[in-house]
Amino acid sequence: MNVLPTPVLLAVDWWALGAVLALSAGILLLLLLEFFPAQARSNRSAIVALLTLAAAGWSVFHVRDAKREIFGGMFVHDGFTVFFTLLFCAAGALAVLLSWDYVKRTRINQAEYYALLLSATAGMIIMAASNDLITIFLGLELMSLALYVLVGFQRHHLESNEAALKYFLLGAFASGFLLYGIALLYGATGTTGLGQMAAVMIDSPMLGNPLFLLGGLLLIIGFGFKVSAVPFHMWTPDAYEGAPTSITAFMSVGAKAAGFAALLRVLMRAMGDVQADWIPILSGLAILTMTVGNITALLQNNLKRMLAYSSIAHAGYVLIAVVAGGRDGAASALFYLAIYAVMNLGAFGVLTLLGREREERVLISDLAGLGFRHPALGIALTLFMISLGGIPPTAGFMAKVYVFSAALNAGLVPLVIIGVLNSVVAIFYYLRVTVALYMEEPQGEPVYVSWATPGVIALIASVVLTLWWGIQANGLLAAAQRSVLGLL
Amino acid sequence: MNLPLLWIIPALPIAAVALNLLVGDRLGRRGIAWLACGAVGLAFLAAVRAALTLAALPEGERQVVETAYTWMRVGDFSIQVAFLLDPLSTVMALVVTGVGFLIHVYSVGYMAHDPSYRRFFLYLNLFMFAMLTLVLADNLLLMFVGWEGVGLCSYLLIGFWYERPSAAEAGKKAFIVNRIGDFGVILGMLMLFTYGGSLQYERLFAMAPHVFALGGGLITGAMLLMFLGATGKSAQLPLYTWLPDAMEGPTPVSALIHAATMVTAGVYLVARCHVLFELAPVALQTVAVIGAATALFAATIGIAQNDIKRVLAYSTVSQLGYMFLACGVGAFGAAIFHLMTHAFFKALLFLGAGSVIHALSDEQDLRRMGGLASRLPWTHATMLTATLAISGIPPFAGFFSKDEILHGAFASGHHVIWLVGLIGAALTAFYMFRLYVLCFRGPSRVTPEAAHHLHESPPTMIVPLVVLAALSVVGGWVGLPLLAGGHPFERWLAPSVESAAGAHGEAAAHAMSAGGAWLLMALSVAVALAGIALAVRAYLQDPEIAGRLRERLRVVHAVVFHKYWVDEIYDALVVSPIYRLSRWLWRVWDVKVVDGTVNGVGFTFEGVSAVLRLFQTGFVGTYALIFTIGVAVLLYHFLRG
Amino acid sequence: MTEALFIGFAAMLVASSLLVILHRNPVASALFLVLAFCSLAGIYLLFHAEFIGMVQIIVYAGAIMVLFLFVIMYLNLQRDEEGGVHIALRRGLGWVAGTVVLAEGVFMLARRWAPGPLTPEVPGEAAGNTQQLGMLLFSRYLFPFEVTSLVLLVAIIGVVVIAKGRSTAGSGTRPAPGEDG
Repeated sequence: MNVLPTPVLLAVDWWALGAVLALSAGILLLLLLEFFPAQARSNRSAIVALLTLAAAGWSVFHVRDAKREIFGGMFVHDGFTVFFTLLFCAAGALAVLLSWDYVKRTRINQAEYYALLLSATAGMIIMAASNDLITIFLGLELMSLALYVLVGFQRHHLESNEAALKYFLLGAFASGFLLYGIALLYGATGTTGLGQMAAVMIDSPMLGNPLFLLGGLLLIIGFGFKVSAVPFHMWTPDAYEGAPTSITAFMSVGAKAAGFAALLRVLMRAMGDVQADWIPILSGLAILTMTVGNITALLQNNLKRMLAYSSIAHAGYVLIAVVAGGRDGAASALFYLAIYAVMNLGAFGVLTLLGREREERVLISDLAGLGFRHPALGIALTLFMISLGGIPPTAGFMAKVYVFSAALNAGLVPLVIIGVLNSVVAIFYYLRVTVALYMEEPQGEPVYVSWATPGVIALIASVVLTLWWGIQANGLLAAAQRSVLGLL
Repeated sequence: MNLPLLWIIPALPIAAVALNLLVGDRLGRRGIAWLACGAVGLAFLAAVRAALTLAALPEGERQVVETAYTWMRVGDFSIQVAFLLDPLSTVMALVVTGVGFLIHVYSVGYMAHDPSYRRFFLYLNLFMFAMLTLVLADNLLLMFVGWEGVGLCSYLLIGFWYERPSAAEAGKKAFIVNRIGDFGVILGMLMLFTYGGSLQYERLFAMAPHVFALGGGLITGAMLLMFLGATGKSAQLPLYTWLPDAMEGPTPVSALIHAATMVTAGVYLVARCHVLFELAPVALQTVAVIGAATALFAATIGIAQNDIKRVLAYSTVSQLGYMFLACGVGAFGAAIFHLMTHAFFKALLFLGAGSVIHALSDEQDLRRMGGLASRLPWTHATMLTATLAISGIPPFAGFFSKDEILHGAFASGHHVIWLVGLIGAALTAFYMFRLYVLCFRGPSRVTPEAAHHLHESPPTMIVPLVVLAALSVVGGWVGLPLLAGGHPFERWLAPSVESAAGAHGEAAAHAMSAGGAWLLMALSVAVALAGIALAVRAYLQDPEIAGRLRERLRVVHAVVFHKYWVDEIYDALVVSPIYRLSRWLWRVWDVKVVDGTVNGVGFTFEGVSAVLRLFQTGFVGTYALIFTIGVAVLLYHFLRG
Repeated sequence: MTEALFIGFAAMLVASSLLVILHRNPVASALFLVLAFCSLAGIYLLFHAEFIGMVQIIVYAGAIMVLFLFVIMYLNLQRDEEGGVHIALRRGLGWVAGTVVLAEGVFMLARRWAPGPLTPEVPGEAAGNTQQLGMLLFSRYLFPFEVTSLVLLVAIIGVVVIAKGRSTAGSGTRPAPGEDG
């Protein structure tokens, strides 16, 4: 058997891979623990999930300054990876805190729930860290499969089933486009590695190569689906509305950020020199996404649906940052996504507390008078709405300022004008929430608030960060700017 | 150098907000009142101390920047949270804290019976914080924080009595109209930042002449956008419609926010950025024209209104128009001067009106007042002072500032604008005395129930009235115009608002003969007196005249009475199309889906067959179709390109 | 020869795939899917990817399709009886949009056909490509290989969740193996 070459064992930096390893271990631990029956209201699974996320975050944070490529450059540990890994772990941890009581209240099966939540997080991390189209795709599928199931977790709930099915079918449809795009790119360049692709293009420019362009376009469509860019957004309101609220919170933040992470890495690593081809397409998508998202959100009566459209609109703002490109463009996208994560998790987090047992109280009219009955909750929700609307001194304002100024520096004046106009329109529906909170009398039975300490902790964290990044944005900004250096 | 501790000025009210939030429920009404008024009073003292510190400095160095920390760093530029003390911000801070303090004290009495006492002072203090941030900020971004903050507070306070649907509506309207203006400010700010390289006032102003060509498109565009923001905040044409509706808020709010302070933020912005505006003559010209047009337009509407607060609201719009007019003709000092005197007498008018409303058990209709002079002696005396001041009768405060504005307009060669201003002045005197006569003179038309409860207001309300009345008299004397090279106010402000062009205008003013100046002054007093005489004649001595005039000018009256139907036009042109578009999108994409849920999923429980059936039945097909059409369009783009 | 075979298999693949979605009888659709898998296996064989070709037949055409057919027959699905103007309209539009996308793709590629600059390495026949595949899977593609196992784990959890939920909901039907990618 000496005809075989000795297999080359690739050097693996275990720290760099720590987050994925920790999450995998956590998933298995959660499943194995089920052999030992626990009480229905036990906190065991949630605690394991939280510790796993903490370990994952810590392991990456521990080597945050290192820059490694492992598995032959398929998995990259750089600033970009660290930023997104921490973002996903933080979003996951907040989601676990928000789920803590919610899943008990709605009688969701805990072990599987948290195992899937961790899987989705692992998928997101792989998407952000991959430097190869194959692993990006696998990460995306890992995340998506977990999310499909999580969306449909409430089996007793019709809308949850429907949402999961729609999300799954359309997700598979979009994955088809993505895969086809990967195949075409492979055909054009002979490689799936983003680094090699960039190297190939130095030798033979891909400008105007139809295979390459078509492949890139299909890739953008695939990611566009995940970040819910118009016209690939149709699943969003249904899935967000049908999913358990804690999952809506998590996926509205995590899946979007992961989609953008992969899109940014692909565009900036592999397609830098054909940027001119993408600008009109991405600009068009950005304009459509913002406008359709905001205008449709205006008349929603269901908060989850309204926030779904709002999340579509926010994807449009991030697309502006992607179009702007370069160091500031990419950094502003990261900055925006981090801030969006905090404020959106907060907004959905408030919703997880509303209603008792399996009751869903997510209509805007359900909020009537809530601001007076529960002042702290009212102030928190108002703050998140103000921040989502981009009013200072909240973090949402700083996020928009940075994105718009990066876009202006890149000369995208019309895009900025449309963006600012959109953010003006958007205020209207965010305002409706505060109007309901403070200026309406409840009709019928006022909504019951299921207070839960973990959820409150998550909300406090979101409130603090939303304010802190509005008042002192520098730390996050510097981190975002450092993180994108590896892409340039 | 002795640091003026600027940050403490906005910090005091926000600390009061925090305390109120934390322990407000244990303080009781008295405690809340002390907390709120005390914080603003201390802020006033701090502002006075800052002003004295500044005044002690030699004239050329009157500019102190106090940096708290670095806010964000973009590229090579960083934006600081920093406060600026210069003559302009000093005047603003003194006016805001001073008038603000008086109105806080007044509110203690006015809101005494309101159940939401604590919430009221919470919002009011929050407003003070935002307003002080606005005027003391050292850069445009921090200024914008205050700018949005005051907008938010204004919205909360207009809708304070949310049980009235009209109040909630008015609050929303104010906020939305202001957002249109903010759109301009954000874009203008971003343009200045991108091309001017900084948002810090000093650096931006120093840089601007080098990067922006005089009268170039960039700077003109940026400044017009900034001015759009100013028209929103300061209720100028075409964005003034929210201010009259804002009168739904409690009267102290109208006095503080919608007369004395917040609405003047636009004027402050233009004066603060005068260096930039002078680089864009077209923008400056626009400011003057809009200001003059608004001054006249709002004055005509004010004549036909019957709600005492609405008359005052239109009067505020009109007076703000004068301030912009002054800015537009380059007389920035005069604009700020008028801003200050206006803060005194307009706050007084509102508080006086509040006192009347309070006395009449919430009656606001002028047609059901009359003859109140003897029943409300203090209110009457102070209101008369304010009315004389706004009408421009010497030696009251309004005379000096208004005369200076008109003088500035004439001297800089804007004769048409001067004429418009002069007509506006006559109208102002007319409608203000109409208000005065209908309210305090003539026979009483008070309803019997209201007459039963008629009473003079408590001391906490009267004392602020008296102080403001005194200020309405002497407030103008700091700017005795053209006499003996005096005018301490203008000299004080000069470092902040004067520049090459300003000095040029000044020279032109001085070039005008003293005789000419006296003539202008006499003319403006004369038209004011004429307006007063007409009002007294038409509404007091011979009420028939008013009726006959109304008959004679029926069309004009209808137009003015209905406020030129501007609200209706906006509704038809802007609001309903957006509403309809949203509705359409909703119908097409959303309702169908939600309604379809029933058909689509009704079978899910019956087994997997239904699940598979969803492939065909549901709206997934439609979604995929839209997806595919999107792909087709994107591909088409590539095929063409 | 190879080219002719390739074109033959490819045509069969496209045709049978189309029939999978166009045929109204679910059982027939499933059988066409088997045919599609077999054509694909043929193409793999042409590329000297014998191992994958075999796996394709054994796993997909064999195991998975049997499961599919079993479920379909077990559920006794009727013919698709959808109708109505709305559905017809959407279907028509779907055809148009799909055709347009296809035509656009063809036009685009026809305009300037440029294959990639690199040709993928052909596995050495001497060593046998199963071995080669194994070597690659456990060296260069180790990471994707491991991630795939994670994906499968998630799929299993998903199936358990769906099945469990159904049994507590009181309905006894088995879930469709929809999520195993």
